[in-house]
Amino acid sequence: MEEFLQQLTNGLAVGGIYALIALGYTMVYGVLKLINFAHGDLFTYGAYLGLTLLTSLALTDRVGFALGVLVLVLMVMGLVAILGAMLERAAYRPLRESPRLSAVVSALGASIFLQNTLMLVYGARFQVYPDEILPAATLDVFGLYIPLMRVLIVLASVAMMVALYLFIQKTRIGTAIRAAAIDQSAARLMGIDVNRVILLVFLLGPALGGAAGLMVGLYYGQVNFTMGWVYGMKAFTAAILGGIGNIPGAMVGGLLLGVIEALGAAYVSIAWKDAIAFCVLILILIVRPTGLLGERVADKI
Amino acid sequence: MKKQLLTLVAAVGLALGGGMVQAADTVKIGLMAPLTGSWASEGQGMKKIVELLAEQQNAKGGVLGKKIEVVTEDDGGDARTASLAAQRLTTKGVATVVGTYGSAVTEASQNIYDEAGIPQIANGSTAIRLTEKGLKKFFRTAPRDDEQGRMAAQTIEKLGFKKVAILHDSSAYAKGLADEANALLKKKGTEVVFFDALTPKESDYTAILTKLKGAGPDVVLFTGYYPEAGLLLKQKKGMNWNVPFIGGDANNNADLIKIAGKAAEGFYFLSPPQPQDLDTADAKAFLTDYQKKYNELPPSIWAVLAGDGFRVMVAGIAGAKSTDATKIADYLHKDLKNFSGLSGPIAFDAKGDREGEVYRVYKVDADGKFVMQKL
Amino acid sequence: MNRAAWLGTGSCAALFAVAPLFLNTYQVDVLNSIGLYALLALSLNLILGEAGLFNMGHAAFYAMGAYTAAILNTRYQIPILWTLPFSGLAAGLFALAVARPVVHLRGDYLLIVTIGVGEIVRIALVNDVFGITGGANGIFGISRPRLFGWVIRRPEEFFYLIWGFVGLTIFLFLRLKQSRFGRALNYLREDEVAAEGSGINTDHYKLAAFGLGAAWAGMAGTLFAAKMTIISPESFNFWESVVLFMIVILGGAGSIPGVLLAAFLVVGLPELFREFAGARMLVFGLVMMVMMVIRPQGLLPTRGRHFSLAARVKETGR
Repeated sequence: MEEFLQQLTNGLAVGGIYALIALGYTMVYGVLKLINFAHGDLFTYGAYLGLTLLTSLALTDRVGFALGVLVLVLMVMGLVAILGAMLERAAYRPLRESPRLSAVVSALGASIFLQNTLMLVYGARFQVYPDEILPAATLDVFGLYIPLMRVLIVLASVAMMVALYLFIQKTRIGTAIRAAAIDQSAARLMGIDVNRVILLVFLLGPALGGAAGLMVGLYYGQVNFTMGWVYGMKAFTAAILGGIGNIPGAMVGGLLLGVIEALGAAYVSIAWKDAIAFCVLILILIVRPTGLLGERVADKI
Repeated sequence: MKKQLLTLVAAVGLALGGGMVQAADTVKIGLMAPLTGSWASEGQGMKKIVELLAEQQNAKGGVLGKKIEVVTEDDGGDARTASLAAQRLTTKGVATVVGTYGSAVTEASQNIYDEAGIPQIANGSTAIRLTEKGLKKFFRTAPRDDEQGRMAAQTIEKLGFKKVAILHDSSAYAKGLADEANALLKKKGTEVVFFDALTPKESDYTAILTKLKGAGPDVVLFTGYYPEAGLLLKQKKGMNWNVPFIGGDANNNADLIKIAGKAAEGFYFLSPPQPQDLDTADAKAFLTDYQKKYNELPPSIWAVLAGDGFRVMVAGIAGAKSTDATKIADYLHKDLKNFSGLSGPIAFDAKGDREGEVYRVYKVDADGKFVMQKL
Repeated sequence: MNRAAWLGTGSCAALFAVAPLFLNTYQVDVLNSIGLYALLALSLNLILGEAGLFNMGHAAFYAMGAYTAAILNTRYQIPILWTLPFSGLAAGLFALAVARPVVHLRGDYLLIVTIGVGEIVRIALVNDVFGITGGANGIFGISRPRLFGWVIRRPEEFFYLIWGFVGLTIFLFLRLKQSRFGRALNYLREDEVAAEGSGINTDHYKLAAFGLGAAWAGMAGTLFAAKMTIISPESFNFWESVVLFMIVILGGAGSIPGVLLAAFLVVGLPELFREFAGARMLVFGLVMMVMMVIRPQGLLPTRGRHFSLAARVKETGR
């Protein structure tokens, strides 16, 4: 039982990161019906930019740990958001009226480009965050090992997700995003500037992805230029699992995927962990073809 | 549309043909290394070292009175790209080839070089079967997995561990080593309480560590690579679990310490000796020069072994007094004895493997230095 | 096609056939690599291009074929080219089995399922499923193919084997495209509901496309195994599926000449960019992006089918 609970918390911690990245996929998909395969690389950029800013500005030394990290998170989110918007402008906007899969290939090209740019700038070796920036306190809850940072990471992810959810559901801009997701041309007729909505989506999604990258860097300490593929694929799986285009779905999907992986590794086999996760995904899709929280769309005739 | 196709074929053909014509005033030595892809850091290290050594050799007058020219090709760390890289090197008139890192990648190129009559010396490929095929012109500076497996089992025994957990990463190399060690340990009656594989390139291994801890080993043998080892050590420390770890030779990389930080202290690993630990003049001179040129220590032992491959090939050409493949191979098999390598003395047996005991046991000290152990 | 076009195609093919005489081994081997990818991309084109089914796990079927061939050859000493039908059958049946429950999924959900299948197959191979795949080491010692007593060994010889098979594939797939089957697939791609309304059994046709495309990839796998003489799971990773996906879309989904051209670019360009050393993949990524932006429909998109009434009247005399 104790091991089970421990594995559950292990899974939730990883799942929180997946969920945060998955939001970027799902938001872009919701509005553009585009799978942004370069999103994982934006996540990597978050991790690398965070490292550069952290070491060059020495924020945590100057203004203290909490404030320093907060400023760092905001800076990284801002920079990655700008990068995301640039990506949209260069690789996706020219393809908006084209077949959907063309944009997918453009995204894959962009992904290769972004990844190799990082390799050339930073070199191929693993980059490492300075050791012992984070307080290494461990909470001991009924014999479970839970590092404090893990709790903070999960809390931060959940906070960002909730903020995003409220933003989408309760504000005028959020309503515009939802409207554009449902029907772009109708939204345009209602006076919504769809181009701005798309730009906004490409600022928000990458910002969250960049934040996730920074958190991974801060907590695990080790980043490399190909990590975006691994995390991106997991997050994309999570977004589909929850029903792509659906924001709560991405959160549920991410957390669930993390837990499936941890429990699969614990009780079936570590080596087959990813295969187990994909099997569960396929089974779920057979039962619910549009994911857990995806809408059931009847074919229009 | 067919015209476009044709133009394209012609363009590809023309461009690929570049660099075909060569004058005979240099001796060309090929380097096949993973410059891109997931092993890019190893490949770039190999390139740095071989280029430095070639520069030095040329300053000393080259070989056979000619300058040495290093021709580098990217194998991308994958078999298909490697076979193309190998084909490309064979058309460039190289006398010998140094490389490459991964065993499967080397294997994809072995026959191509053999059929083209070019001696090859691999630096990172430890899979046993590479030298069991009877290829007369294939050598390697890397030791073999069975040798390392033997050494791992022996080390575990000497350190007095009774319950061993073995963790690999499903790569051909790590699985091979894990299997070797597993069989030997079982034969000796040591209990193996855990045997499984992690998925490389992830960041969070706590789920695996939790399971490992549940198995209650008194030592963990991790046969995979340093990025995962670093994270395992770090996350193990975070769990307040103080089990010792022993790693395979893929952990001899300075980045291990960067990743694991203080948590690396007490970590054992097996490796051929580093240039730092040799008192030969060659090794000392190489270290100073390398640090002077690149302002860092060599990134890993595998890059150093590529440097040794290069030096061995130069010695082979000089010793055979010719760039003839058979003569070079004969010289390396028979006449090269006790060559002063950057990773200890080098000599080759009939299969092209290194003779003698290559492995040493290292332990990470409190300052994150790799200290050679006497066991 | 009119006479001039036939003439052009014919002379190009003839020129291509004598190309190995003028090229060095490396260049011929690049052409072989292109040929293999062209074969795989043509088979994927059937699924993704003609039927419009998002498949990003094609490497799984390719792997099934290669492993079937390798296992039959190394364990039962069946000559490697004889394993072609078995490889095709194994890959095709496997595709039918996995596609059966998921083929009705909508686009992107199908995409992730196929990615998943690709990964599951790779992980199964790495973990030495049933103890016959050799784990991460893969299978080695696959014998060279033998054709009419001639052992195929050098790249120049493989050139004719591979491109001969490509030629046959193009011929068959062009016929298939014109057939009732091919037209049904296109209908399906353009408007599934309308297709179903016109009495096309959509699930049946989708499965047929999957099975046939996979079978062809399986046979390409045999050629790959024969050429490399060693296969390991890493040769069939997710990246391979992505490359094939890119070839089909870049060429122009459903366009056979487009797919061929794209195979030349996607496989050939990284080789051309070897001069850039470490930056070669960066340039490649950029080129992919730019090409797609410049030609969003693909390089050589399919044009709608044209039937000239006048010509038909003349032909039939009515």
